[in-house]
Amino acid sequence: MILHVNHIPPKQTALAASVASALVTAAGEGQVPPRILENLNVHLDWLQYKTNFREALTLRRAIKGEEILPWIEVGVDLRQVRPDQLKDEFVNALNDAVDPAAGARKRVYLEPFAPVRSGIIWRFNNLFWQHLPLWETAAGHGFEKSLPGGTSDANHPEAVADAVADFWTLLKDLEGHNQLPQEIFALEIGVGTGQRAAAWLDRFRALDKERGTQYYPRIRFLLADYSMPTLNRALEAVKEHRELASFLAVDALDPFKSLSFLRYKVLSIHLTNVYDNLPTDEIVVREGKLYFVEARAYVPAATAARISEAFGIPPAEFVRTVTRLLEVGPTHLHHANVEQGVTFWRSVWDAIRLEERLISIQSILDAPLPAGVKPTLLENFVGDGVMNQRFHLSSGALESFLNTMPLLHPRGYLQVQDIFVTKLEDYGKLFRGPGKMDGSIVNWVNGALLAEVGARAGYDVHFAPFHYREGSRTSMLYTTHRE
Amino acid sequence: MSLPILPTTVVGSYSMPGWLERLKTEFFARRISRQELDEIHDSAVKAAIKDQEVCGLDIITDGELRRDNMIDYFAERLPGLQTDHTNKKFYYDFYDWVVRGKIPMASLRLADDFRFLSQFTDHGTKFCVTGPHSLVKRIKDEHYKNEQAFATDLARVMNMELKELARAGARFIQIDEPYYSGFPEDFQWGVKVLNTLVEGVDAKIALHVCYGNRYGKPSWAGNYKYLFPAILEANVQQVTLEFARRGGEDLELFKEFPNKLELGVGVIDVKTHEVETPEIVAERIRKALKFVPAERVFVLPDCGCLHLPQEVAFAKLRTMVQGTKIVRKELGA
Repeated sequence: MILHVNHIPPKQTALAASVASALVTAAGEGQVPPRILENLNVHLDWLQYKTNFREALTLRRAIKGEEILPWIEVGVDLRQVRPDQLKDEFVNALNDAVDPAAGARKRVYLEPFAPVRSGIIWRFNNLFWQHLPLWETAAGHGFEKSLPGGTSDANHPEAVADAVADFWTLLKDLEGHNQLPQEIFALEIGVGTGQRAAAWLDRFRALDKERGTQYYPRIRFLLADYSMPTLNRALEAVKEHRELASFLAVDALDPFKSLSFLRYKVLSIHLTNVYDNLPTDEIVVREGKLYFVEARAYVPAATAARISEAFGIPPAEFVRTVTRLLEVGPTHLHHANVEQGVTFWRSVWDAIRLEERLISIQSILDAPLPAGVKPTLLENFVGDGVMNQRFHLSSGALESFLNTMPLLHPRGYLQVQDIFVTKLEDYGKLFRGPGKMDGSIVNWVNGALLAEVGARAGYDVHFAPFHYREGSRTSMLYTTHRE
Repeated sequence: MSLPILPTTVVGSYSMPGWLERLKTEFFARRISRQELDEIHDSAVKAAIKDQEVCGLDIITDGELRRDNMIDYFAERLPGLQTDHTNKKFYYDFYDWVVRGKIPMASLRLADDFRFLSQFTDHGTKFCVTGPHSLVKRIKDEHYKNEQAFATDLARVMNMELKELARAGARFIQIDEPYYSGFPEDFQWGVKVLNTLVEGVDAKIALHVCYGNRYGKPSWAGNYKYLFPAILEANVQQVTLEFARRGGEDLELFKEFPNKLELGVGVIDVKTHEVETPEIVAERIRKALKFVPAERVFVLPDCGCLHLPQEVAFAKLRTMVQGTKIVRKELGA
């Protein structure tokens, strides 16, 4: 057995030590077959997100074609683990490795194994944004309350003022070269509550007046989101600038699909906390060998039974009811009682976990690559020196980036405020997701890969810490044209 | 050889295959030899020639597939320029070049590329050369007093190469100067540099000016108004401009400033993978014919096809030829 101690916060080192000790003791007591012990790798993690998709102990098998490889991995979440139960759970988990059918009886599966980005959890994520007001009513707070600090960093007045000042300078420079377009397009994708757009427009109008330029009436501010409830809320927020603002239903994965008429015309594009909410796959490197992660969502059988009983659903109908929830939404799940539908939704979401398996691949090119990403971009990304690492492909973020850039004016720029991992090795320093953020999903974004892809697409990608709020973990991604 | 009315051609580059990108990068990583890369280039150029012939182009190029990009291929042949060869990761990146002394006269060995092209086709040919203005914008100057002086000296050295190309049989040479669109204020002195470059060269000279195609995207915005009337002083016979992506508004300039220049009219948008229909191509040509007589119009894409996937580039060129045939028929040709 090899024990890997990953990203443990300093305050949890004592806990990690006791867990490690318990595991070594369990292994030494002869309850685990020697053949399993020889191939066993245990990873101790502190999952950053209080609510996530893992149980205290998670078993992961490696697969090559139809063959189950001897390699066995057990993930231990120190946040959830109960030391008094650890030993039994550890032995039970390894018994499940020997007898998968026994393990399967403890779970109600919602789907077959699939690459993570194709999983059912993303349908739940979609459900959240489509029925946001219902969730917020049930939760008793707006979705931004779930963010660290309880509000979006995007709305920070100083950050907005600086962004506006930079944009005004760009316009002035373009005007100086007689290149300022008659219509000045600015685009925000993922509009949140609309407060940032409102603050931006307020500030721009004031600056324009203060400096005596006439840019404000030429602004065409596009607010784009795939959630109609969100767009409606944003409309209210920017009502003072209604004549300059347009509201567009746009798929964040492919903004160009809806906005191709603006090819090379948009001078400023901004996104906040969008990339971290887009589907992604994960790659695992173990002893230098590559795997991609497949997962299937499940609800622990006992929890599924409890939920079924609480909502008067026959246990055999549980999965079908979840499927129906995703198809018709919480509003129509129980015709007479919307609240009942929302409560069921929230209960299931809270209970969902992911069972993972590692699919052996020869090279990263055998992984499900993000659409539009040339294989040559990725083949050098994982260097020979990487022996043990688990990282996101950030498939959705890469697709979104590549499908957004063609909108940029040659002098325009893209700014993305999000949680980025800017160096591959930093994946080992912190758990990077997936986590649950209210009813949605959050993953850190592979900024290192984004920078690589950006460079090959003709953009230098830079990251700067968000310095306007102390303790903020978000960064600003800036693009500049690459010559 | 005689050309039909509305001759069709490319701006210069043909689609760069993914496998060739990979092999070029392998060369930088020292995993394949120079000789192997030369052989690979020869094969790729032959394939590009064949593709252009099959598409039905009247005038073809070598596809510029030997070139990593429009700067380095020339800069590394110009004596006296220096670079640290470790400063690029990917073949298409630019090296950081610097000039620290007067550039001596020397052969750039471009005529070898032309000879290879002419050996493998009996079609009309065109040879394309990056112009001094674009080179100056990518080379750090630590010797000349100003950009014009540097560009003029480059033109002096490159003039000898253009003459060598003409001696090798190149009858049609295109000077690529996209950076004028980024620095339109330079065009006034740029014309003098151009005239130094082409002085005494026994070949048709075309000047290609677009709005950039680096990584398959535009580098600048604006319009071609800055070219006029200064371009009328340039000793070039043809100007090839980008109209498909930007629309044909700037065609009005040919009416506003009467001239005898041939116009290479861009009718294929190389920044999208959408393949135009022959009817759209025909319509774009018809629009140009309202401002320039047919006997002075050449038909070509907006810029090089370098960044287009091969099947897209092939389909676009084929469509361009089909659209041109529609208009030729209308003209009774």
